[in-house]
Parts: sequence; structure tokens; C-alpha cells
Amino acid sequence: MSALAALRRVRLILASGVIVRAIAWGLAAAGTLLIGAVLADIAAPLALGVREALLWIAGASGLCVAFALAVRDRAVLSARDVALWIEEREPALRFRLISAVELGDPRLARDVAPRRWPVLAMRRTGRALATPALIVAVIGALLVLLPAGAVARVRGPRAGDSLERAGVRSSGASRLEPLVALVIAPAYAHAAPRSIDNPATIRALVGSEIVLRGRGAAAGIFARIGNDSVSAASDSADRWSIAARAPVTPAAIELVDRGYEKIITSEPIHDAPPVVTLASPARDTVLRVARGRLSLAATASDDIALESVWFELIVSSGEGETFTFRSAELHKTPVHGKAFDLSGALSLDSLHLKAGDILHVRAAARDANDVSGPGVGYSETRAIRVARPGEYDSVALDAAPPTDEDKSIVSERMLIMLAEALDRQRPTLVHDSLVRESQSIAADQKRLRRTVGDVVFSRLGGSPSGEETVGADSPARARTMQELLARADSATSRAIDPTDFGGGEAPVIAVNTPLLEAYNAMWDAGGALEIGEPGRALPFMRRALAAIERARQAERVYLHGRAPQIVVDVGRARLQGKDKGSSSTRRPLTASDSAAQTRELRFARAMEMLDRARPAAIDSLLLLRIDALSSAPELAAALRDATTALRGDEARAAATALARARRALGGIPVARDSLSRWGVVP
Amino acid sequence: MFATAQYESGDWDSAPFVPANIIDTIARYTEIPVAPIGVVAPLSEERMLRYPLLYLTGHLPVRFNAAEQRNVRRFVERGGLLFVDDHDHDVDGVFHKSATEEIARAAGPLAELPNDHPLYSSFFKFDGPPATSQELNGWGDNLVHTHLLAVQREGRIAVLYSSKDYSSEWNYHPENKRFLAVDNTRFAVNLAVYALTA
Repeated sequence: MSALAALRRVRLILASGVIVRAIAWGLAAAGTLLIGAVLADIAAPLALGVREALLWIAGASGLCVAFALAVRDRAVLSARDVALWIEEREPALRFRLISAVELGDPRLARDVAPRRWPVLAMRRTGRALATPALIVAVIGALLVLLPAGAVARVRGPRAGDSLERAGVRSSGASRLEPLVALVIAPAYAHAAPRSIDNPATIRALVGSEIVLRGRGAAAGIFARIGNDSVSAASDSADRWSIAARAPVTPAAIELVDRGYEKIITSEPIHDAPPVVTLASPARDTVLRVARGRLSLAATASDDIALESVWFELIVSSGEGETFTFRSAELHKTPVHGKAFDLSGALSLDSLHLKAGDILHVRAAARDANDVSGPGVGYSETRAIRVARPGEYDSVALDAAPPTDEDKSIVSERMLIMLAEALDRQRPTLVHDSLVRESQSIAADQKRLRRTVGDVVFSRLGGSPSGEETVGADSPARARTMQELLARADSATSRAIDPTDFGGGEAPVIAVNTPLLEAYNAMWDAGGALEIGEPGRALPFMRRALAAIERARQAERVYLHGRAPQIVVDVGRARLQGKDKGSSSTRRPLTASDSAAQTRELRFARAMEMLDRARPAAIDSLLLLRIDALSSAPELAAALRDATTALRGDEARAAATALARARRALGGIPVARDSLSRWGVVP
Repeated sequence: MFATAQYESGDWDSAPFVPANIIDTIARYTEIPVAPIGVVAPLSEERMLRYPLLYLTGHLPVRFNAAEQRNVRRFVERGGLLFVDDHDHDVDGVFHKSATEEIARAAGPLAELPNDHPLYSSFFKFDGPPATSQELNGWGDNLVHTHLLAVQREGRIAVLYSSKDYSSEWNYHPENKRFLAVDNTRFAVNLAVYALTA
């Protein structure tokens, strides 16, 4: 073997040693942290998140140590450094080896004897590895000697592993702690089983199986769910379990072990029916002739899984009291997944629709729920009507321009936007500019007010602009709505008939009241705008807009026939019936929400109990939560947080959640005639 | 206030005289304060929740839109009574099929109401739902329905469904009641009393 070949071999041995040593120290560092975490977990249970974090920290620290050592000893890769290392141990070489390496001339080291060099390197490597190897061995032994479950909780943390935690338990201790719930969703949901450690609430899809597991023998442990009682079964020597179907309604699962009790709330998750939206046809339609193809499109989605999607149609024919119907399903498509877009076409010719027929189209979807369902969701229905022959018999008319009210509403809306913009810019504008801009809006407002006045006066039979022709500054101008109403009255010269419209208004006044109110509001708005106060003008302008809107609505004309309105003379009919019933068999319904009062009372009782009987108070809050789940979800959510925090001894979080619960209960403080007991939430 | 439910699909106002007739009947037999005219309560608007009793009828398909469905659900949860009558008097008709389907979606499945239910004795005594002339004349589905259907919540009727076509039976001017030997609208009093009492 040549000197340089021996050198390379020595370098390989030393490099291997460096790498192995770095890995060993890395393992030692990670193992030490793991053992520390295991011991800490045995002393006091560590949360899942903490254990996951510790595992990452241990891995990262091991890698860091290994990397740092490898970098520190990187000189082992250099042939020159390795040559020097050999020269140090073999003084007889007299720098021939390093000279050969540095000058690249192997002849300089041709008469050296390199046989011992690998042996030296092996010995050095062995010494360097001894300490870390010993530490790794000790750590390994400790990991073997520590309880397997305790190590597993740190090595592979997962939900539901609290049963694995090592700890000394006396025979009289509750077997309900620790507790793990395994929720197995029904097969159609295709969901993996889910474990929950020490649950206060179990949310499970309806049809799920809930398996509660604990440590200790099964004898004497049972659960009460509603009226049913389920005894625990032995899983293994030191494990018990209770399996039950998740209740359909919110319920309390009461676990009993001798004198120990634990209440868990079961909150069912109901599989919602699919949500279906019909995209095409987009709106109801009237067709003159029912020919051609109608394109259909819909989207369906479900919270769990869809099973099928289809279109439904109903054709109704006839009128009055005589109707016939045909119905059909179209494009029924099996679906696997949570969402689906369905499209298709419908030939109207194939339906043989006659004049007056109505085609109702909607989309529907069924979910895969084979436990409590299936849930069926429907889209909104579109009606496609075939016009009757006489329907289009009408005098040809040109389209009318928008009414004055319609024009006014647009303008008033525009003026409001201008005034709002000006009001926003107000801090940045100098006063003169503000007043100038404001007066410009005021001028438009005045023009608009005159238009509205013209509408009112022309309706009242007077000449258009009759109210404004007297001039803007005329003292004769009406200044209040009452004056305008009086003018309107006099303009029509009608006597007020108190039987009309029930409020003592003449019909003409009743019709015009919104416009007159708008007129009056515009007047006030104009005044504020004139002096550069757009902010003050805005409420009046908005009132004017609302009044114009009301006027527009009031005059909407419906063209379908209406039955005459019958006003029953209740006074005359009162107790004129020949038959007599029994009016005393039932009592009037209470107006107040008695359920809310009951909840409030129960909450108050639980709060009273919190200081002296904390577990009982928590159980009371849990039971209250079960009742509140369907009727008062906000309260139920607050109580869930409160009970979780109370069980976890988190005083601040509990106080916040209880305050939320109190607000959700009704909120309005009740004044009492005596001082209540002072106290704090623990 | 006697309220007639207005829904987007179908002919919700197919029995325009029924509200006045029921108002007249309530006044005729009870001292319950009642407004002289009925109101129309669109199911899509929240104000429908103000009325304890809602009357819904029609011949055409009933398809609640999202707002209508949501409000109907809230209405029955708040203790209201929705009285649905099939103006088609036909269990094979589209009103029956679509309305029962919509009720199931909004309030729950319908079940036969026993003929000794408190509804039938809340004011007048009945041995079950009174028959209508439409049934007896063999119109519609040619059946005399022996039971009404109902969705019950906590022992109380939330939705009452009739295939007996009271909408046709009661759809006449209240003044014409004087020509009847037996007032055929008395069952409406039971409905109103039941809706207003516990």
C-alpha cells in the first residue's frame, strides 16, 4: 500500500468516526429531551400540543448538535490535515508525508511504512465514540425501562392517548379519569374515527358510534343516556369501555363509577340536506309558443356526501277549479362527492304544452345519508307559462317615460350622494368653497322640490307650478307640511270624509301625503344646504327620499283581479251564533318566553352553587347547555367554553365565558330590592 | 288579525272569502277581539311571525323559497299554528304532494291527528274533522278524509294539514251564512281558540 493510499484510508476512517460521533451526540441530545418530557408527563400530564412541540424540539436539537459537531470536525476531510495528524503521531516521517501531499509528489514518501496508520486512526475513532455510545446506550435502556405507554405518548403523541399515560392510581380513585371518547362516524360519511381526550362535549354526526374508554376494571361502571343505562365492558385487563349510539337530540351522558359521576354532553351534528341552486332557467318566463329547447343548469352541494342530483318538472294545465298535472324527473345522475354541477336540456315540444299551461322546473339532490335520511334538497322553482291566446290582445302603446316620482327619486338619491361627499370633504375645504358647493346642491334641491310640488298640484287639479309661481320669497309660500295639506285640501274643494281611509283623510290627501312630506323635507334640506351645512341637510334629504319611495309604492298597479274586500261588521255579528261552545276549556297562552325565564333561573342557581359545590355547578351548566343547544345556540356556545374553562381551572377564561352566557340569557339587568351577595368567578 | 299566508308560487289567494267568513264566525261565537278585515302575511317577510294563526291554501304547486322556508320554520318554533288546506281536495293533486313535501322540509313530517285531539274540543265538540260538501259530493279525490294531518311540537299542533277543502266549503260571503241550517264554519272557531290558547 502506498503512503497516499494509506492516507486516504486513514481519512475515510476518521471521517466515518466524526459522522458517527456527531449522530451519536445528536441522538443523545434528542433522547435526553425525550426522557425529560416523559418524566414530566408522568409527573403532570402534558397537553397534546405540548408533547407534539417537545417532539419537534427534541428532533431539531438532535439535528443541530449533530450538524454542529460535523461542521466543527470538518478538517477531517482535508488530506493535508490528515497528513499532519499522522506526522504528529509518527515523528519518524520527518514531514515527508506532508511534503508529498502539499507538493503532490508521491515519490517523497515512497520509503515510509504506512501499515500502522489505519490502526492508529481506528483506535482514535474508537476512543472518540466511546462516550456518546455509552450515553446513547443508557438513554436507550431508560426508554426501554420506562413504561411503554408513557414513552409512546411523547414519541408519537396523538388524540386519545391519555389512557396510556403512566401514573400511580389508588384503588379508590375514580376510574372515570382519564377518559377517552372514540367517535366512529357512520360509513356513508367516509370519515376516520376521531379520539377526544377527557371530553366535556362530544359532537358527533347522527348515527355515529361513541365509545368511551377508561382505565381499570369494568365492574360497577355504567352510563345513563336518557332513560337507558349501559354497563361497561372489559377491553383488556386494565381497560373498560362503553359503546353507545350518539343520541339524535342533545343529551347528557352520565357516567357513574361507585360514588363518582361525570357528565358529558352529546351534541348531535345533523346531516343537512343538500343545497341546490338552479342557475338556468334564471327567472320565470311567459312564452308565446312553447317550442325549442330549454337549457337546464343547477349546482348542488352537501356537507357530507351527495348521492344523486336531478331536475324535476311539473306541468299544470287548466284554470279555476279544474287543474290537471303531469310530473317527471330528468337527468337523474348518481354523484360521489360533496358538490356537483348538473346541466341538461329540456325539449319543450316533447311536453306538448298548450296555451295557459304552466311548467314548473326545479332541481333536486339527495344526500348519501342512510342513517337519518336521506336528506333531499330542492332549488327554487321557476315557472314557465305559455300565454293564453287572448293575453296579447291589447292596444299598441308606446313605452311611457318614467314618472315624475321615478325621476325625482333618482335625483334625490344623487343629491344625497353629493351632500354626503361634500360632508366627508368638509374638514379639508375652506369655508367659502364649502358654502359655494353646498349652495350649488341647494339650487338642485330647490328645482327638485318644485318638480315634486308640480306633481302634487297638477294631481290636485290646480295648474302645474301653482304653488311655486308666487315666487321663491313669497310670504304666501307654504312652510310646513300641515300648510301644504291644507292647501291641497282647499285646492280640491272636497269635504273630508272620515269614513275614507280610516284616518279622516280625504282620498286625494291620502294619495299625496308622502309627496307632500317629501316636499316639506326637501324644504328643510334646502335651508340647511343654503347655509353650508350638508351634514344637517342629509337627514331631511333621506326622509324626502323615503317619502318619494312610499309614494311610488303606493301607486303600483297590479293587473290581476282582486276579490272585493269584505269588512265584517264584528259588532253586529258578535255572539249572534245559535250554537254555544265552551270557552273555558283552555287558558290563554302566556305571552312571555317561559323557556328563557327557566334558563335564566337555572343559570342563576348554578352560579350560586359554583363556590360551594363546583362539580355540581359545572354539571348543572352542562345540562343547561344541552337544553339550550337547539333553542339558544349562543348561550350553548358560551356555556361550552365556560364548562371547559371551569374544568381546566382557567379562571379568566371561565369568567369571560360566563359573562357571555349571562348576556346571551337576556342581557337586560334586573333591578332587585336587596343587595346581592358579592362574589367572584373562581 | 286573521292572516292569510302569501307564498311566491301558486295561487295563495284562491279562497278570498274565507278570511271574512272566519272573522265573522269568530265574532259570532266568541268574545275574542278580532279585526274586521283579514291581513295578507307574505311568508317571505318577518311580519308573518306576528300572527298566531296563518291560513294557507291553493291549487297549484307550493314551493317555498329560502326566506319562506326559514320563516315557516321560525313560525312553528315560536308556537304559531299554520293551517294548510288543500283547495284541490285531491291527495293525488300537486298541491297535496308539493305542500306536504314543503311542510316536511320546513317543520317536519306530517302524521295523522287523532280524532280525540284537544283541537276537536277546544270550543265546539267534534268527533273528528267535520266533513265538507266537496267530500260528500265525491269531488276531487272522491274520499271522505277521516283525519287531519299535523306536525306537532312539544304536544302542540304546529302545522295542521287538511285535505278536506275547507277553502271551498267556507269560501262564501258571511252574509249568506243565514241560509245555512247548520253553520259549517264552526270548526274555524276551534282552530282560532286552539291557536290562541294552551
